Amino acid sequence: MAAKTRNMFGGGQLARWLPWLMLLPGLGFYFLIGVGPSLATFFYSITDATGIRGIPINWIGFDNYDEFLFQGARSRDNVDALRRTLVFMVLVTTIQFTVGLVMAVLVNQKLRGRLVFRTLFFVPVILGVAVQGLMWKLFLRPGGGPMDSIFGWFGLESQFLAGPNAFYWVIVVQIWANAGFTMIIFLAGMQTIPADLYEAAAVDGASGWKLFKNITWPQLTPAVNTNFLLNIVGSLQAWMLFLVLTGYKNGTQVLGYVVYAEAFGQTGTSSFRQGYAAAASIVLFVLVLLIGMAANAFVNRRERKYMA
Amino acid sequence: MSVISDPDIDADTGTETAAVQDDSAKRRRTLRKVTSYGLLVLFASFYVGPLLILIFASLKSLPEFFRNPTGLPESFSLDNFTEAWELANFPGYLLNSLIYTTVATTLFVIMSVFVAFPIARGYVKGAGALLTLYVVALFLPPALIPQFQLILNLGLFNTRQGYILLFLINPIGLIILVNYIKSIPRELDESAAMDGCGYVRFVWSILIPLIRPAIATVTVIHAIGIWNELILATVYLTDDDLYPITRGLIVFEGVYGSDWPKLAAAVLMLMLPMLVLFMFLQRYIISGLTSGAVKG
Repeated sequence: MAAKTRNMFGGGQLARWLPWLMLLPGLGFYFLIGVGPSLATFFYSITDATGIRGIPINWIGFDNYDEFLFQGARSRDNVDALRRTLVFMVLVTTIQFTVGLVMAVLVNQKLRGRLVFRTLFFVPVILGVAVQGLMWKLFLRPGGGPMDSIFGWFGLESQFLAGPNAFYWVIVVQIWANAGFTMIIFLAGMQTIPADLYEAAAVDGASGWKLFKNITWPQLTPAVNTNFLLNIVGSLQAWMLFLVLTGYKNGTQVLGYVVYAEAFGQTGTSSFRQGYAAAASIVLFVLVLLIGMAANAFVNRRERKYMA
Repeated sequence: MSVISDPDIDADTGTETAAVQDDSAKRRRTLRKVTSYGLLVLFASFYVGPLLILIFASLKSLPEFFRNPTGLPESFSLDNFTEAWELANFPGYLLNSLIYTTVATTLFVIMSVFVAFPIARGYVKGAGALLTLYVVALFLPPALIPQFQLILNLGLFNTRQGYILLFLINPIGLIILVNYIKSIPRELDESAAMDGCGYVRFVWSILIPLIRPAIATVTVIHAIGIWNELILATVYLTDDDLYPITRGLIVFEGVYGSDWPKLAAAVLMLMLPMLVLFMFLQRYIISGLTSGAVKG
């Protein structure tokens, strides 16, 4: 093995170190701005760091965590934000998973124009939050916007992003923006299912729902699991559409937005509470880790059941 | 993997006539087709609808938009586009986005090939551990706050260099490169070395052309990420001259946001390059995004 992995380019002293030398810039940057800062989040969470250069940073133990979760009215908002994050996760995951699956089943049939539909459903994924958000902000303009006048045809009324249901409208946009990604992963899974499985079942007289239940669904297990995990972890961390669509309103936000707003003075007080925000981001990280691990355990059990 | 564009559709439509079918099976099939198209059109309306309304809005005057927010415009005029273009510093924003995207992507891809190759081949000690380090990154807490402290203390806050620095990493991109390089036969290294080809020259002029598909994929997903970035542009840049197009668009919305037709025109101007790019590069975009998901 040792002989096999030896670098055989050149023979001199310098040549032997070349792979390392050439690797260092990439790896160095990765430590400097990737792994290093990631891990340092733990460190900052136990300090009173601000976003101002030159102000000394003091170690304050777990005060940030205590304040974030237990002290005063703000902590009640934070716990609400935590709860809202979970609601966001449950709604986005279930709806996006279902919509993506239905889309994939539809465009996986041999129908004319299916390529157009696939492209159409996928395109929002690559547009980015600024375009996604502004497009829908215009569409959902309250008081005489396009969606408002469509609602009017049916005698409905809503303030959309300005009203009490703004949170749910953000969920709609979130799903609209990402369902195509879920669809593509399902589609990739469906294209690996051998066609003769369907042919054999069709000879036995199975069709439609039976085919889906007995062949597609179990065969799709890897894609189902991937989408399940990605949707859960992704929706727990998603918050950028809130930034574009609703802006920060204290007491209406998900956890990821609280972290950003506290760290960069967007809460209305304009103070950069970066130690506090780091603690909040560790709280979110632990939440993602716990739920992600639980989801992963569930998925592994499912895999054993179906793939055995 | 080309999930969207598999061309086998038209080949299959003729096969039904070969099979002998009774009426009820045929009727069921027709019913399913009609239901499928019904559902597809319903879904599609959520995607085409907002886009059409955006395009219509961009062609209307503000009073016309208020009178008729959904319908076709009364006349065809591109005034909103020219005015939006002149009102905000869109040429500057676009140029900034281009600079950030090309410089950071080029640097990242070149550095990454030199990281991925020795890791894939085991030419450096601890190659396995290094790879694990990139995989683990996907599960670490966000780097946002310490990153900010770092850029601030390096004196790179609100500078082009500082902003570009943030985009010199992408663990998923690196993993894609490593996996692809593993599929290139090792014998190639050996024969090249035998012929006296040096390490750097081998990577640069033999390996890179061979792994072009993977490089295209990584380039495309990395570039899209930079082009679409809004949060880091909001955090690190305070100078209007340095804003990329995403941030510029949000600034434009802040100032002219009540002039919806102009905003629609501005959004479309940012969207069109991405749509055109997608049409040409969708194979790489989709394979990049899905391989990141499946392997990560």
